[in-house]
Amino acid sequence: MLLLRRIQTTIALLLVLVGSTTFAVEEGDKVPVFDFASIYADKPNINLEGLEGKTLFIDFWASWCAPCVLSLPLYNEMYHKYKDQGLEVIAINVDNPIEDGLDFLLDTPLDFLIPQDPEGDAAELFGVIGMPSSYLISPDGNVELVHMGFRSGDMEILEEEVKKVLASD
Amino acid sequence: MSTARSLVTIILAVALLSACSQVRPWERGYLARKEMAWNTDALESALNDHIFFSKEAASGGDNTAGGGCGCN
Amino acid sequence: MKPKPSRSLIALSTSALALPGISLADAPPTQSTASYKISNYQEDDLSRKEAPFGDLDRYNIDVHQFKLISPVGRNFSVNIDANYETLTGASPWFTSVGLDGNPDVNLSGASGIRDKRTEVSIGARYYLENGSIGSSIGHSEEDDYRASYVGFNGERHFNNDLTTVSLAFSHSADDIFPTDAELFGRVISESKYSSSAVISVSQIINQFSTIRTAFSSTEQRGFLSDPYKLIDFRPDNKTQLAWSNSYRRFFVNRNAALHLNYRYYHDDFGISSHTIDTSWFQNLGRNYQLVPSIRYYSQSAADFFTNIDDFLKPLNEYQSSDYRLAAFGAISGGLSLVADFGNWTATLTAERYVASDKYAAYKVNQPSTALVKYNRISLGFDYSF
Repeated sequence: MLLLRRIQTTIALLLVLVGSTTFAVEEGDKVPVFDFASIYADKPNINLEGLEGKTLFIDFWASWCAPCVLSLPLYNEMYHKYKDQGLEVIAINVDNPIEDGLDFLLDTPLDFLIPQDPEGDAAELFGVIGMPSSYLISPDGNVELVHMGFRSGDMEILEEEVKKVLASD
Repeated sequence: MSTARSLVTIILAVALLSACSQVRPWERGYLARKEMAWNTDALESALNDHIFFSKEAASGGDNTAGGGCGCN
Repeated sequence: MKPKPSRSLIALSTSALALPGISLADAPPTQSTASYKISNYQEDDLSRKEAPFGDLDRYNIDVHQFKLISPVGRNFSVNIDANYETLTGASPWFTSVGLDGNPDVNLSGASGIRDKRTEVSIGARYYLENGSIGSSIGHSEEDDYRASYVGFNGERHFNNDLTTVSLAFSHSADDIFPTDAELFGRVISESKYSSSAVISVSQIINQFSTIRTAFSSTEQRGFLSDPYKLIDFRPDNKTQLAWSNSYRRFFVNRNAALHLNYRYYHDDFGISSHTIDTSWFQNLGRNYQLVPSIRYYSQSAADFFTNIDDFLKPLNEYQSSDYRLAAFGAISGGLSLVADFGNWTATLTAERYVASDKYAAYKVNQPSTALVKYNRISLGFDYSF
């Protein structure tokens, strides 16, 4: 019995240890409450409260991540296409230093919200397990889709999902 | 006693593993740089392998080569 | 003059392209890249002291390399490689005792050699969730040498993409049909087969450094001698083992990366070797990079190496005066300048290589007089689209 209990304790401890490194936002979860500083010094913070009622497409990107760089201009098109229907795109930049991200934005202007996350706090909050990662959030805060990586053909899949969430609202 | 010891061992092992996994996906900007690749210039390293292979006895390494040539 | 079947110019494994664990999902490259490199390789001529008679000119080779890699659909990439080489010069034909008792080299061909080599290979790669698998086939053709080869490789990421294990196999079938065979009593036609396997493990150590270790094993059988040498008789079987280690480290405050590689090699001809090389990739502003490199190599002699051909030795006893089977050391250094402008990259490289028995880390019982020294200069372009 004692042995059993020890095993149980061990498993519990393992779960705590492993869990601390593998927690991740999954489909069906509620979006974590966030409040991020913008990458642009003159722009206000980006927080969940201020985005109430919007369908959110949250993406994690970096200037060094080739598939990210490929996806961002396409997200910009998607943003313009659906913003009037209530879509907001939030592309969180994890570059450290943030100047690398800003340099990229000079060449590739993006019109949606871009928070800075040089210390990875936001990535930690979402439990990002690969770059890029994106999360589609319904207006009532449900995580409808978690998507990792960005390959050719992914944009069509993502756009379908965005349309679905916008339509069901 | 031995159970306690194995317990400690397992916890240490897991702690080590999680210590190892501290390079999170968003922290790999430096590792993603071109100059950090195992092979930064495929043609350059193929040429060097080719020359060294024809001038030295040793060959083999971290990738397999194609067929031979008669170069010497 | 193509005695020694040598390594292809096209490395089959494309796993070297992959960075360890950058994203959880492996994916085809996001862009196509076309690369071209032109190189001139020039060996120093021998001196009259080394070769009292005949030609002193050694090889002068021009190499054109071309590579195209393209993503295809969601899960595939394809690549095409092509090379074209032209060669003039001469190579050691036999060695003899000079008047001073030291070995003399006699180069082949009064009028020298002219040859060209053409090689083409194609490959494809399929990207899975946590890794990729690839294969390629290739063919190389010369006046007196032909090789066909096939390769397979795969890699998989583990442990939150901090660890990558890869495996590669290749097989090559080569035919050798020396020129002027009847005139010089050379073999008419021979063949040789090589199979090799490599396993490698790479590990991310921290945000700035990675390490990789690899074991490779190659089995050769068939005609492994030099058909052009007056006397050259080697075993028809050879096993080669190599253990390679690589380390990469980025220095943030210097904006530079360090590459460090070490390889130990051993084969059953009796040759062991150490290779150590290091490069420093110094970024200069946004668009330029300066890369000095230095390399040291040393090998022991094959059991049957002789620096003076023994024409009296029974024909069924192994012997070779091939300088590549001698004990020697070699030091080389190079400098590359890389200019990167968006979709274009240009690379200029100059290299100097000097082999000498003076640099040997192993004992030199019989120094070879035919060791090479060469200069190499290359200009390469990469274009992404």
